[in-house]
Amino acid sequence: MIKVHDVWFSYEEASVFEGLSIEIEKGEFLGVVGPNGSGKSTLLKLVSGSLKPQRGSVLLEGHEVSFLSRKEVAQRIAVVPQEYHLEFDFTVEEVVEMGRYVRGGKGEHILEELNLMPLARRSFLTLSGGEKQRVVLAQALAQEPSILLLDEPASHLDISYQLELFDLLSRLNRDGLTLICVLHDLNLALSYCKRLILLSEGSIFAAGRAEEVLTPENLGHVYGVSAELHSHFGKPFLTFFSPFEKVNEGLQIHIICGGGSGSLLIHELYHRGCRVSLGAVNTLDSDEVIGRKLSLPMAVEAPFSPISDETHKRNLELIDRAKIVILAPLPVGPGNFKNLLALEKAVYLGKEVWVVNPDFKGRDFTGRVGEIISRIKEKARFFSSEEEVLKELENWAS
Amino acid sequence: MKKVFVLVLISIFFLSVLSSLMGGVVNIPLKVVLEVFTGKVTGIERTIVIDVRVPRIILATLVGIALSLTGAILQSLFLNPLAEPYITGVSSGAAFGATLAFFFYLPAFPYLPLFSFLGSFLTLIMVYLMAKRNGKVNSYVLLLAGVALSAFFGALVSVLMVKSGRDLHALVFWLLGSFSGRGWSEVKLAIPLIPLLFIPMRYFRELNLFLQGEERAFELGVETEKVKKLLFFLSSLLTAIAVSVSGIIGFVGLIVPHISRLLFGPDHRRVLLASLLLGPSLMLSSDLLARVVFSPSEMPVGVVTSFFGAPFFIYLLIRRKN
Repeated sequence: MIKVHDVWFSYEEASVFEGLSIEIEKGEFLGVVGPNGSGKSTLLKLVSGSLKPQRGSVLLEGHEVSFLSRKEVAQRIAVVPQEYHLEFDFTVEEVVEMGRYVRGGKGEHILEELNLMPLARRSFLTLSGGEKQRVVLAQALAQEPSILLLDEPASHLDISYQLELFDLLSRLNRDGLTLICVLHDLNLALSYCKRLILLSEGSIFAAGRAEEVLTPENLGHVYGVSAELHSHFGKPFLTFFSPFEKVNEGLQIHIICGGGSGSLLIHELYHRGCRVSLGAVNTLDSDEVIGRKLSLPMAVEAPFSPISDETHKRNLELIDRAKIVILAPLPVGPGNFKNLLALEKAVYLGKEVWVVNPDFKGRDFTGRVGEIISRIKEKARFFSSEEEVLKELENWAS
Repeated sequence: MKKVFVLVLISIFFLSVLSSLMGGVVNIPLKVVLEVFTGKVTGIERTIVIDVRVPRIILATLVGIALSLTGAILQSLFLNPLAEPYITGVSSGAAFGATLAFFFYLPAFPYLPLFSFLGSFLTLIMVYLMAKRNGKVNSYVLLLAGVALSAFFGALVSVLMVKSGRDLHALVFWLLGSFSGRGWSEVKLAIPLIPLLFIPMRYFRELNLFLQGEERAFELGVETEKVKKLLFFLSSLLTAIAVSVSGIIGFVGLIVPHISRLLFGPDHRRVLLASLLLGPSLMLSSDLLARVVFSPSEMPVGVVTSFFGAPFFIYLLIRRKN
């Protein structure tokens, strides 16, 4: 339906595309993602004909877009711009009617379809952000296009309008409308777009199904952030960490954790450049899963099994290599009580021992933790939260 | 409500026509005016009405419409409510062209409107290119460019006037904008205006779409470059003809579209139609004031419109700042 072939484009100051090629099929819901300045909006403008490529071609159903009359293009392609400015006091129905320029008539059916009838005679200027967005979408749909281009349509919307908008777009897509949507919000892209293109510095870094494109590796390369892809209620979603300064490069830290109690510290310390080891954790424990992803040295026990002597020994070896040993706020039961013994051992080995949240109320299922804590009270340091640990680590900057 | 406004506007127009027929240095009662038209009265009253006031009313009507429509078009194309032939310097460009024709003793037709047109068109293109930054027209540059070009052309006109050694008083009077002494020969000069006045109505959709910015108009299917060129050409032509018959009359193109929008909203279907009634009414009543305030001597009508228009302009500027 749309074929972008070997397109070269540059603005006066900077080159954007050097030989970009994309094909877009009828009925697609294509998401275009990428950092600021990667050429997303420029791509949309090339497709809509607002910009002309200096070399190469943009074909719409086999015809060069810039050779078609504006009417021919606007009957097929409609645009929902990123910013829509109107300083004059038009009513909603007048704004939608402007979308009928290439078709004629007032487009009342569009007002009905988007539930805008109650607003029809209101002044556009008095609408809320979400309502304005809906009117601009109605204006574009009034062209009765077969392709709709959207440039960050969700950027000014609160979460409920965002979902409403994207559910509507999905419905239009099911009814046969081809959608090309530039998005900042990668999680929206992940959950709604059938296919994604990840642009980086004017070329396609990755293209394909959303999960294949938005991998932590790709995001790390393109955005320079750390990302994690999770599944939540069967839906994929991403979490992000800002790029860390490697303030604690090489600092050896052992974290005694389990049950997800260490996940925050593991991430933070790893990205600050610490050499992190973990122990003792069970296979498939959420802390173990993170450790495995990051290839950290770990003392690992079989799933749902108490810590064996062998694993305890491995744990002590890792402790011996570390400069600081941190006890994460983990629950303690008979199965992992040896972790507390390992902690006490660390104190005797003269390690710097830090305990996050010394209040074990509700998470000591052995009744013996208090005893150990009181024995190491003199030598260990206690922190009320992970944030305090991180603050303290700044004093240990390499 | 809007129908009431239309009736009011029509009545105002007829009132201004009537009072323009009656009022002036010599007051002619309504009865006599009517008798002139039925042929009952001849002599001096007939001469005043038929040879002085009627052509003057026709001219003021045409010029009022031309300037109002040009204002509405420029405000849409510049996406700026302050645009107007006088403020943008386009009228001064036309005046310079006209003075040039005058200076070289060229026959009024076709050289006066032709030279005016060349002056106004070049000025409009210059202002547009100067004021347009990144697809938007910058108000400050627009106003400053207009002021600068007006001053520049004003200076050129002064040089030509001094060099020519012809009757300066008449020239100054003309430059300040006046219908004084215009008769049927000037009406003939303005006749080409009439078909032109209907063209903007054909473009009301495009003018509406331009209010969302040129890029959006383009996306919605307007051949923006083509339409812009045509409307710029038309605006220059309207201004040129208006200036060649009546000199520089400021602010009419600013006030009329604004009041139209206030009454009927921004849709150009209505703005342009309302301008057809409001423009002449404003022009005729200003001209009437110009004739009677210091009677028997006459003020240039441009002085009257500036007297009302400049404060209105300042008001718009202040409101925009907030």
